[in-house]
Amino acid sequence: MASFRMVLFKRCMNAFITILLIMALNFALFRIMPGNPAELMQRTPYASDYLKWRNIERMGLNDSLPEQFVEYYKDTFTGDWGISYFWETPVIEVLGGAISWTLLLVGLSTVFTFVIGIALGKISAQRRGKAPDVLITGFGLFFYGMPVFWFALVLMVIFVGNLHVLPSAGYMESGVPVFPLTVDKLADIGIHMVLPLTTLVVGSVAGIVLLMRNSLVDVLTEDYITTAYAKGLSERQVMKRHASQNARLPIVTTLAMDTAFILGGVFQVEVIFTYKGIGWYTIHAIENQDYPMLQFIFFIGGVAVVIANLIADLILIKLDPRVKIT
Amino acid sequence: MGRFERWFSGGLRRLFSFNPVLSDKASLSGKSLGKVIDLFLATWMGKSGTIIIAAFVAFALGADLFLPYDPTESTEEVLEGVSWDHWFGTDQRGRDVFTRTAHGTTASLIIGFVAMGISMVLGTVVGLASGYWGGWKDEIIMRINDVFLSIPWLVLMIVIASIWGSRDLFSIIVVIGITGWSTTARIVRAQVLSLKERQFVERAKAIGSGEWHIIRKHIFPNVVPLIFANAILTVAIAILSESTLSFLGLGPQTVDTWGRILDEANNQSAAIAGPYAFIIMPGLCIVLVILGFTFVGYAMDEVMNPKLRRR
Repeated sequence: MASFRMVLFKRCMNAFITILLIMALNFALFRIMPGNPAELMQRTPYASDYLKWRNIERMGLNDSLPEQFVEYYKDTFTGDWGISYFWETPVIEVLGGAISWTLLLVGLSTVFTFVIGIALGKISAQRRGKAPDVLITGFGLFFYGMPVFWFALVLMVIFVGNLHVLPSAGYMESGVPVFPLTVDKLADIGIHMVLPLTTLVVGSVAGIVLLMRNSLVDVLTEDYITTAYAKGLSERQVMKRHASQNARLPIVTTLAMDTAFILGGVFQVEVIFTYKGIGWYTIHAIENQDYPMLQFIFFIGGVAVVIANLIADLILIKLDPRVKIT
Repeated sequence: MGRFERWFSGGLRRLFSFNPVLSDKASLSGKSLGKVIDLFLATWMGKSGTIIIAAFVAFALGADLFLPYDPTESTEEVLEGVSWDHWFGTDQRGRDVFTRTAHGTTASLIIGFVAMGISMVLGTVVGLASGYWGGWKDEIIMRINDVFLSIPWLVLMIVIASIWGSRDLFSIIVVIGITGWSTTARIVRAQVLSLKERQFVERAKAIGSGEWHIIRKHIFPNVVPLIFANAILTVAIAILSESTLSFLGLGPQTVDTWGRILDEANNQSAAIAGPYAFIIMPGLCIVLVILGFTFVGYAMDEVMNPKLRRR
């Protein structure tokens, strides 16, 4: 098992190094670009002088560049992530609630994508060349290259503009505190989530369906499938025990690699449906040149993707014993 | 295996997996260009993709020649629905949406191709260097590559675009180009790693060929067919990226693009209040163009990598 531990160790080290590099890029981006942070702050008209002064002090802009660099790492690891210009409170306080809403959206959409994608991919592969397959792959290809924001707008045209059945904005009725939770509130949150969630799932399920289909078609030509049939197993048993278990492996990796893209989709969806998660705050921060916010979002987004990939690696090791050796 | 699926199964897998298998004849030089084109057009994906792209090129070229409206001129006919005079309706300043969409096609295609060029050159150079050198240099390059794969592309683009300040066509193309090279670099690197161990490279080394000669004459030609299909798919991604950026209000300020038309439509709440054509048609154009490039990319992949075809 020594090799397994080595693999684990190397993956974790790589993830850690990647996070350190993301921080370096984050540091560099906000300093290399035209106009240094001090000037950028001067361009932000509404931020109070005191706030600007505090941020200059915090980022150590009066020190030399290497000192600032060290300072940035120290601050990030000790949880000092800056103060938003616009909201005038620490960034983490502004985004604390938003992060959980975004996580809810991303988590649910990933689960749905995984389940629906695998189910449709199976149907398609089992009836390949026939009507269901043509239908599913056709839709898959169409939705695969579709801009998420446009699909969100189309849903809005249908369900909000014409049918008037679903709310168009927010994660729940505005002005109502989330806690304590009641059944009514949960239902309200659920209804508000229908459109954003549908957009996200449809946007990312297409790729998964096509991948699952091709992966399964591939597996079905393997010799051990023929063996399984030969020893008298029913089609359902072969599918369940032999084929789909193996065909599922690439899906796990792809879902993790797609996290970056899913996050991009979440941003668009949140903007369109005024769903106040990270994405909505990002656009808000851009419009108001709220640089501490942007810097933090950049950092947290990168870390999220790295962690997602790490988790996928671990799941893959669990699912596929062969990975341990390499 | 049915004809229908032969054209898809390989291509998609290759897009998603990062260790493509090298086929023995995967070099462009071994085949006549005419034969490649014949094979390519024999696939239904190649055919329909080419038709779609050709239609859009015609759409872009014809915009100036045939359309009666000026895409920048405001009129009194504000936010009208679909009619014979205005096929896609009119926008909030009374401009014809069909004309604007047609003019936007040029911008989209230019952005797609130039950004693809930047991504491809960067990705190929980095991939070649990383794969050929190996060792600690490879490790360093791959970690940097990981960073670009990990950062949500939209966030990176938004940050660069917003910090850059002035946003003309050029800066947007650069932003899209430098955020899109990492996948290509991975594919190229994987290919180079396997090529490096091949006998013809050993042989070249044995007779004393220089590094530069080996890379240029032996490795690079075998990488080309792989990145060619990838390049076409990158055009699609670049067009998608541009429209997303524009929709979020971060696109080029000097040029009218599809994303920008959609952004304006959204700001007018056209999704709820109408006219719906204002919001649906430009978006449909994006979907179609991307579909066209995706088809061509997959078909290319099938044709240039014979190993996939045999499955």
